Amino acid sequence: MVAIDVPEINYTEYSNRQLVAVPLAVLVLALAIIGGWYLVTGAPANLGLEFTGGVELRIADDGEGNMEERIETAFDQEPDSIRSIPADDVFVVTFRAAEDDPDGLANDLEDQSEAAGFRLDSLDQVSPSFAADTAQTALFGIGLAFLGMSVLVFALFRTFVPSVAVVASAFSDLIIPIAAMNLLGIEMTLGTVAALLMIIGYSVDSDILLNNSVLRRTGDFYESVSRAMRTGVTMTLTSTAAMIVMAIVASIFGIDLLRDIGIILAIGLSADMMNTYLMNVTLLRWYKFKGVKR
Amino acid sequence: MLEPIKKNWRILLLIVVVVAASLALFAPQFAPATAPGEDTSEAQQGLTNLQYGLDLAGGTRIRAPLLGYTATEVDFDEDGPDDVARAVADELDGVSANDVSANIDERAVEVTDQSVDEAQFRAAMDASGYEYGGIRSGVTQETRDTAERIIQEKINQAGLSGGSVRQVQSITGEYFILIEVPGEERSDIIELLEERGTVQIDIAYPTENGTAIEEEVLVQDDFEDIGTASQGSEGSGPYVPVTVRNTAPDGETSPAHSFQSAVVERGFPSAYSSDGVRCDFEENEDDVSVPCLLLTVDGETVNSFGMDSGLAASMDSGSWAETGNFRLTTGEFSEAQTISINLRAGALPAQLDISGQGTSSEISASQGENFRFYSMITGVLAIFAVAGMVFLRYRDPRVALPMIVTALAEVYALLGFAALLNYPIELAVIAGFIAVVGTGVDDLVIIADEVMSEGDVNSRKVFDSRFRRAFWVIGAAAATTIIAMSPLMVLSLGDLSGFAIFTILGVLIGVLITRPAYGDILRRLLTVR
Repeated sequence: MVAIDVPEINYTEYSNRQLVAVPLAVLVLALAIIGGWYLVTGAPANLGLEFTGGVELRIADDGEGNMEERIETAFDQEPDSIRSIPADDVFVVTFRAAEDDPDGLANDLEDQSEAAGFRLDSLDQVSPSFAADTAQTALFGIGLAFLGMSVLVFALFRTFVPSVAVVASAFSDLIIPIAAMNLLGIEMTLGTVAALLMIIGYSVDSDILLNNSVLRRTGDFYESVSRAMRTGVTMTLTSTAAMIVMAIVASIFGIDLLRDIGIILAIGLSADMMNTYLMNVTLLRWYKFKGVKR
Repeated sequence: MLEPIKKNWRILLLIVVVVAASLALFAPQFAPATAPGEDTSEAQQGLTNLQYGLDLAGGTRIRAPLLGYTATEVDFDEDGPDDVARAVADELDGVSANDVSANIDERAVEVTDQSVDEAQFRAAMDASGYEYGGIRSGVTQETRDTAERIIQEKINQAGLSGGSVRQVQSITGEYFILIEVPGEERSDIIELLEERGTVQIDIAYPTENGTAIEEEVLVQDDFEDIGTASQGSEGSGPYVPVTVRNTAPDGETSPAHSFQSAVVERGFPSAYSSDGVRCDFEENEDDVSVPCLLLTVDGETVNSFGMDSGLAASMDSGSWAETGNFRLTTGEFSEAQTISINLRAGALPAQLDISGQGTSSEISASQGENFRFYSMITGVLAIFAVAGMVFLRYRDPRVALPMIVTALAEVYALLGFAALLNYPIELAVIAGFIAVVGTGVDDLVIIADEVMSEGDVNSRKVFDSRFRRAFWVIGAAAATTIIAMSPLMVLSLGDLSGFAIFTILGVLIGVLITRPAYGDILRRLLTVR
């Protein structure tokens, strides 16, 4: 049987600058992607139906002819996307918001799909103004959660540098998955917002563990780090495994919400491992040794 | 006897919680409440007492605001609300008094007619001469409550079990009405909401061959204004004030006049010449002794009234039609409320704006069922993944097995909670469960590593001190998760409040019950005796 052995990194071989360079570079790259996305598309991420408004239909595949062709010809308006979910014999078709009358659009689409002989499994209609409101609420929620977490971390450690290390790595843990979502074409939905909030909760775990081990326990710095790392990496790997399995299974079954949460958390947790054991450790080392060269 | 209990109370507590969860999940006493005309087995979905939300059971969800404008902080100048409403309505072209209402408790005046825009309403408020603070879009609390009640009533009347109506507030302060009806199609629900119930007033009067009925003496359109139910003053019971329209196109009799003559013709003034005469339609439906007014909704008589002698006299003299006011008096206040709702039913006090700013969604029952099964598989596989990782890492079943069992107990306890609270399980809640397993195992890993570090555990004291150290980290981590999740609980972000609630509940159950229990189990297994 293969065993998981958490590798021991010999931190002494690398300077602070070297260690911190990797996570910082990734963070800058992620920020650049999000910024670029904003400049090109007008939004920092691919916004899903819930944040743009529109109509999503799930049409059952009755096995007669080429569904995709039939769907394309059935509707007056060009669908924005058609996605097939083989396990569920369903096609998910989305239409972007019609500014004027989204409910009318929903009714039209319902009629048209009936005329084409489709069986509708579900229909979702979100109006653009409601969607804008939801987007604002979601952004506010993430902001509030992040702020609350930061305050709590400062209250727990009551020292500046270690607290900043936790908050900074949590920030990077949030930004990297958003950039990855853009690149992978995952849309920002309510599910992904929930996943981002989960990242705030999850990622701080390993950071707190590390800080606790280094600051509150006696012993050599490197010994403390490797002890925290053994536990922390196990934790993160376990959660990541659960999330990857969830993402794979849910995407086979076409349960978007669970798939999105799974993917985002898997990426976020991986980013967290890098941030915690490269960036956070370095900040702590610098704090402990007050920049003593080694 | 007491010593073993004291020593193992954490494990015992976990067992108690698991037993309690089983009770909540399977005992018939905790079965979901049944809708009228439904027996227990119908209300129960599947083997357990768990309720499933729309996305796992199929159904329709509609979320939309009520349209209208409200002037706030209105100075009523000691005028009655009806006078204020009328004065404002008079300033608006083509708007009936029904579409303007004033509420003295909220100090607000609202207009619910679709043709009026904000500027027109502002102008009308200015012209009416009442001082006011500002104009906002939306309607008053009272109107929202009424709309909520009417929609609930409609859903109940249509016999749709498990339907719910709520008000939710968005971050911008706007109120939405949230309607959820399991097992129904979206178009049917929208139709139901838009459908106007036919409400009419008939007259039942005595003849030689028993009761005869003159139908449609008053129909819904004949009312100019339908007041809200009022708690009557001394002597008179609770009532609904109504005003019958006294205007008509040239050459036609106004509804007030034709109602008046119908009342006189059927002999109300002579029958109700003195107080104390009561309508006996309820007792002798087929052979009434005096004429009665019948309130009929969708062809069904829901209430019968007699007439106050003063009112009958003024109808006799012909003066009543000028004002057209009368009161539908009832025995109970709740009855007056029902009548007021019935008279308005179909006509929501304001229009529900589903197309403009609302959302609606529909999930078919078969998809709901599929999702229920698929998400269960997803959850089980995710747990297997966790179990696999834990075994790979520790290769010691004494550590790994209890870890997985405690994590499962946590989810089981959560399911019990959901059954106890009758909280509908949705996809988002299942995601919350999976998140709980993730954080749960994280914390158990922290406990296990901490306890096993620095050599064998050779005494209870050593174990306890290491366990406490581990618990500091766990507590801190739990606190951050709770803080990160709490905004979702209160913000109106659709399904996500369920996700947040169950993640937080899971973390709490974990920190307070299951993780300490795991510590105890581990101590028993690891302590070198």
